[in-house]
Amino acid sequence: MSALLEVDELVVTYGPAVAVDGVSLELKEGERVALVGPNGAGKSSLLNAICGLVKPAAGRVRVDGRDVTGVAAGRIVRRGLTQVPEGRQVFPSLPVEANLLLGAYGRDFRREPLLATLRYLRRRSAIGERLERVYALLPALRELRARPAGQTSGGEQQMVAIGRALMAEPRLLAIDELSLGLAPLVVQNLSAFLRKLNEDEGVALLLVEQNALLAFELCERAYVLEAGRTVLSGTSAELENNELVRRAYLGGGLEVEA
Amino acid sequence: MIGISTGSAFALVGIGMVLIHRTSGIVNFAQGTFAVLGGLFMVRLVDDLPSGLAGLVTVVIVANIGALMGLIAVGIRGRTTALASLIITLGLALVVSSLELLKFGDRPHTYPAVSEHAWNVQGVVIQPQYALVVGVTIAASLLLALALRRTIVGHALVACADSSRAAELVGLNVRTLAMIAFAVSAGLAALGGLLVTPVVPVNYDSDVAIAVNAFAAAAFGGLGSIGFAFVGGLVLGISEQLVVGYIDPQYNLAIALVIMLVLIGWRSRHEAVT
Repeated sequence: MSALLEVDELVVTYGPAVAVDGVSLELKEGERVALVGPNGAGKSSLLNAICGLVKPAAGRVRVDGRDVTGVAAGRIVRRGLTQVPEGRQVFPSLPVEANLLLGAYGRDFRREPLLATLRYLRRRSAIGERLERVYALLPALRELRARPAGQTSGGEQQMVAIGRALMAEPRLLAIDELSLGLAPLVVQNLSAFLRKLNEDEGVALLLVEQNALLAFELCERAYVLEAGRTVLSGTSAELENNELVRRAYLGGGLEVEA
Repeated sequence: MIGISTGSAFALVGIGMVLIHRTSGIVNFAQGTFAVLGGLFMVRLVDDLPSGLAGLVTVVIVANIGALMGLIAVGIRGRTTALASLIITLGLALVVSSLELLKFGDRPHTYPAVSEHAWNVQGVVIQPQYALVVGVTIAASLLLALALRRTIVGHALVACADSSRAAELVGLNVRTLAMIAFAVSAGLAALGGLLVTPVVPVNYDSDVAIAVNAFAAAAFGGLGSIGFAFVGGLVLGISEQLVVGYIDPQYNLAIALVIMLVLIGWRSRHEAVT
């Protein structure tokens, strides 16, 4: 059986700058995997290339063994891979519920808006059930349903962004910088929620995270990226005990400056 | 009264600008051209079709032209910058304006109003056409505001404006949505243009004046609010008629420019403070 997501020697460039320099990774159905590394290591570029936001210069991306390299973001969503973008990127002027519904509408949206809307309307009862499911998973969102998403707290916005992604019924949820700008307690709650989501619903997780401690705690395996390359990979337990990782990411005492 | 009806037409065109700006960040200077096209097509069609049908056909034709223009302005890949798009709309407006000159000549065109019979309400003479312009403008504004707030397509349009990146990530096609915005806006502008043509005859080069006025109306709400664009259009129309009536008709367009500059200056100061 082929893996849910396979990335093969992916290269992402911005003009002359090489952001991702031949990274390969693999993620199986229901797995929790992290991409760890410092700012500018190419984690987000890699994720955006996987999700169809940037066209890779070389390499392959496969979902269920089918080549999806460089296809539009919408088609990746329909294959079952949805991204929660860095900095949440909720739709601030729309109510929380509209944010969520767009997650379902977007999945139906192809080139023709008319057919997309018809498909959406025909599936309305199914989408209503899905919405109830998301509210059951994230009860706080039900309370906030009518409030413009821009008027909610950072942690709530992260929930809106996750809920919106879940509306597309993904098999793999890719989260870019879950902890960015959020209070530790909020991050802990979100992390617990994601683990539960993974265990109960079988949604695989691909977590892009600067906070290595959080990444190792939440995920089973991780890849460590530096300057666009994979420098280490292994189970979280292995990496946590790796001397290099300890020094560079886990605050191994006073040499943390390095 | 003529001020209120031309003001309403400016509002319709301006609301279209607001819609496009909110969805794609583009300031569409071809909006004036859509209004002129609306007027000209209506003049051409009104002889052969009942006027209601002629109006409908006109709006649909211009909406399609608008969608096409949106496609060109936003680009096949949807990655054209807003400034480049603005310049593309200006260029396309010039092209269409020249085509109008070739097809319709350089004379102003008009067609008969709904009814020549004026109402007399307590000494104030009201032309039915004026009432029609105002009524349609109010109805169209309310419908559009409702659609943006209540329908999923409306939400998708607003989502594109909020964050086109996130919109793309949930699977929305930003280019398609921009084309919808352009089509609806062009339709609104055509509606404004065709309704006001019996009052103010339309010429191939009316587009600049309409675009400037509509932009001034839209700038009332910082290009972001349908309600403010509506109010802005009315204020403009009325103040221009006052200037024409009491000072000098030549200052007609100058008023729009002055109001626009004052507003922009005030807004930028306001925004700098907050």
